[in-house]
Amino acid sequence: MYIYCYHIKRHYVFPRLGLNTNRGTETSIFIQNILFRRLIKVAQVLPHSPSLSGRNHHAILEAAGPSHVAINAISANMDSFARGRTAILKKQPSHMEAAHFGDLGRSSVNYQVQETRSRLSKTVDQILRDNVAMPYFIQFMETHIAEHLVRFWLEAESFRSTTWSRVRAHSLNSVKHSTLAEPAASLESPDSPDSPNDPSRPLTLDQGDEEDTFSSQTSSRPHTPSPQDTNSHTGALIGHRNSVSSEGAARPGTPHLQPSLRSETPTRQPSSRTGTPVKGQSTSGLSDKLMKSIERDAVNIFTKYISPDAARPIPITEQIRNDIVAKICGEDGQVDPNCFVIAQSVVFSIIEEQHFSEFLRSHYFCKYQIEVLTSGSVFLADILFCESALFYFSEYMEKEDAMNVLQFWLAAENFQDQLAAKKGQYDGQEAQNDAMILYDKYFSLQATNPLGFGDSVRMEIESNICREGGPLPDCFNTPLRQAWTTMEKVYMPGFLSSNLYYKYLSDLINSVRVDEFTGGNANTTPEVDRNSSVTEGSQAQQGTKKAAVKILKNFDEAITVDIASLDPESLYQRPYAGRMTFGKVNELGQFIREAEPEPDVKKSKGSMFSQAMKKWVQGNSDEAQEEMAWKIAKMIVNDVMQQGHQGSPEVKATKVHLFLSLHS
Amino acid sequence: MATAPYNYSYIFKYIIIGDMGVGKSCLLHQFTEKKFMADCPHTIGVEFGTRIMEVSGQKIKLQIWDTAGQERFRAVTRSYYRGAAGALMVYDITRRSTYNHLSSWLTDARNLTNPSTVIILIGNKADLEAQRDVTYEEAKQFAEENGLLFLEASAKTGENVEDAFLEAAKKIYQNIQDGSLDLNAAESGVQHKPSAPQGGRLTSEPQPQREGCGC
Repeated sequence: MYIYCYHIKRHYVFPRLGLNTNRGTETSIFIQNILFRRLIKVAQVLPHSPSLSGRNHHAILEAAGPSHVAINAISANMDSFARGRTAILKKQPSHMEAAHFGDLGRSSVNYQVQETRSRLSKTVDQILRDNVAMPYFIQFMETHIAEHLVRFWLEAESFRSTTWSRVRAHSLNSVKHSTLAEPAASLESPDSPDSPNDPSRPLTLDQGDEEDTFSSQTSSRPHTPSPQDTNSHTGALIGHRNSVSSEGAARPGTPHLQPSLRSETPTRQPSSRTGTPVKGQSTSGLSDKLMKSIERDAVNIFTKYISPDAARPIPITEQIRNDIVAKICGEDGQVDPNCFVIAQSVVFSIIEEQHFSEFLRSHYFCKYQIEVLTSGSVFLADILFCESALFYFSEYMEKEDAMNVLQFWLAAENFQDQLAAKKGQYDGQEAQNDAMILYDKYFSLQATNPLGFGDSVRMEIESNICREGGPLPDCFNTPLRQAWTTMEKVYMPGFLSSNLYYKYLSDLINSVRVDEFTGGNANTTPEVDRNSSVTEGSQAQQGTKKAAVKILKNFDEAITVDIASLDPESLYQRPYAGRMTFGKVNELGQFIREAEPEPDVKKSKGSMFSQAMKKWVQGNSDEAQEEMAWKIAKMIVNDVMQQGHQGSPEVKATKVHLFLSLHS
Repeated sequence: MATAPYNYSYIFKYIIIGDMGVGKSCLLHQFTEKKFMADCPHTIGVEFGTRIMEVSGQKIKLQIWDTAGQERFRAVTRSYYRGAAGALMVYDITRRSTYNHLSSWLTDARNLTNPSTVIILIGNKADLEAQRDVTYEEAKQFAEENGLLFLEASAKTGENVEDAFLEAAKKIYQNIQDGSLDLNAAESGVQHKPSAPQGGRLTSEPQPQREGCGC
């Protein structure tokens, strides 16, 4: 983006982006649009993936222009921006004063008060349940030689949820076939009036758990399977579950936002105890086959992680180990699906205390963030609840003269958050004073920073504040929603197409690059022999991934050598200190020079694209900027390759050729 | 009020922390508006101000996050510490309790920011010499023991207010120059604009060089 902007400058002598005046913004964005579209047309010599939302590996491979994805992403943002912003600007006077913010979101969707998460900021719990983030986290943990903790947690969690699900399914089946109970009534258990046993309740809880990929809806209800209840052992099991679930609830560090499965268990305790579907069940227990299978799974996990003879045992005490043994080898041969829960929480704490903050500072997390940011669908929540993104967004809002909206949103949101956190135990007078400060600043007729809210909103706020007992934590919901929608519809599209956002992405990528080199240096043995990359590949548990990274590194080095003389910043960086190699042999036996690119690679489709880029980017000193765009491209393809096929050599070869041909 | 874009080469993110009533918002206001707010209400959550300064010939924009000092806002303001290049830790020289709480603020700052974040201790209300409750020497010693810069200032008279922000900026800039602050690190708290040659091309048409800006 940056490249094109200064080209506008150069060739059209417009005020530099003119972000202060809408006219300037409109015009220069318009021109950027044109440039981008031309660029895309040139790039579209290849079939391209129509889907921006998902990772279409094949399409990306076919396209041979990986930066196409990034271009599309930014272009999609620009498109919606151009449409939305132009439409809004047409509706309103041409100057963006405090009073004019589109329709202040009156026509828009509900303001999600619960939307307090950015996909860019994660807690341990969120990462563990996020399929997109998980690969990056595992890679990071591998560098700490601690990935077995994560794998254990994942497998134990999966075991727990699938076991419950299987047991429940089995019990449902037996209930269905039982002669003593009707299907509908059985779940409602007319014999236990005191149990609030409604199947809908757990579902509601699950709905809040959006990122829960490891347990199915059904399995997360530990509806006590009926056969077990009739068993005398059940009492002990429930007792176990009592202690386990209370431990789960008391576990420190549980993020308050996401209802984790474990914290849900206590609320279901009463129902599981008394909500037994049937009594007088004729079957004596789970079928043997099912029991054996469950036992096998449990023993499998035990052998891999818990047993002292395991290759990488997790660090738990003898007591916990014995406890697990007891739960697996239950008296009646039934395995407690929650047998690993205590160990899971121990592992969770270790991950949280010893590894997680470093992960958040690592380049693996950056890569994850880049993936989110280039996915083509960035939400306002991702920006506002992530400090580093907010840093850039604030700068953008200030340039757009719209700091007021953001300030108000931050202040009111903070006010409501701290009030909500008190769960009703707060000083109403104090809260009212706080709310009045916001009112005086943003709403009153003599407001110092008026935002242009309508009379109806102002009166609603007045009555909310003057409520007897003080304002409630949802006091400012209406104007918050309007501010949110304004930012989302009017400003965020522009931000996502702006230089600042591009800079943010580049900075993220840069931080990844530097870390990769220094991290890679620390971890890799000297690459001298032909087999080195292969051995390294096998050391890492996914060989293709590391080898692929090496290929990219070669290219990076090759390009960077050219740039170093032109980019003064690189003087301060020493990413290559200690690496003195002429070239490498990759796993396909190809020798890749480090010093200079392959001279015999002629114009391929890839270089046509780069030709196009050069058309817009003239001059040697622009290689630095061009390189930034390439970096984005490489990052994306790198990720694709890491997550993509480990498959046939032809596929690998194609990928390698792609990379080779990209560089011209 | 708006600044001409790209006439600064860096943006540093600052946070201002400290007990309630020590004068954080007034310091910010004095710095950005050159005015003293006699009776400003307490901050709700966070507020925001910016100003461009010159450090070693470079124009640097400071993006300053002024946090609420009330204990009840402590949890929400913690999320703004992250990714700060500089932190102003403020106490009131006329109230000893605000000085005593510094270790708690310092702990938060150290835990939640980067190791390379520059922290400067500010003893505000230096104009109220008659009611002084904390001596310069002891605060200076505390600062030295903890590796902090230290200044006494007065938001009311403006004494040392510019220097407070400037000293921190100088230190941050120095860290960038000698490499101890890695610009490439995630959440360094620094936005870096392209360096002069390309920058010159961008702003080739004459623009008024503005030093101060509104917040």
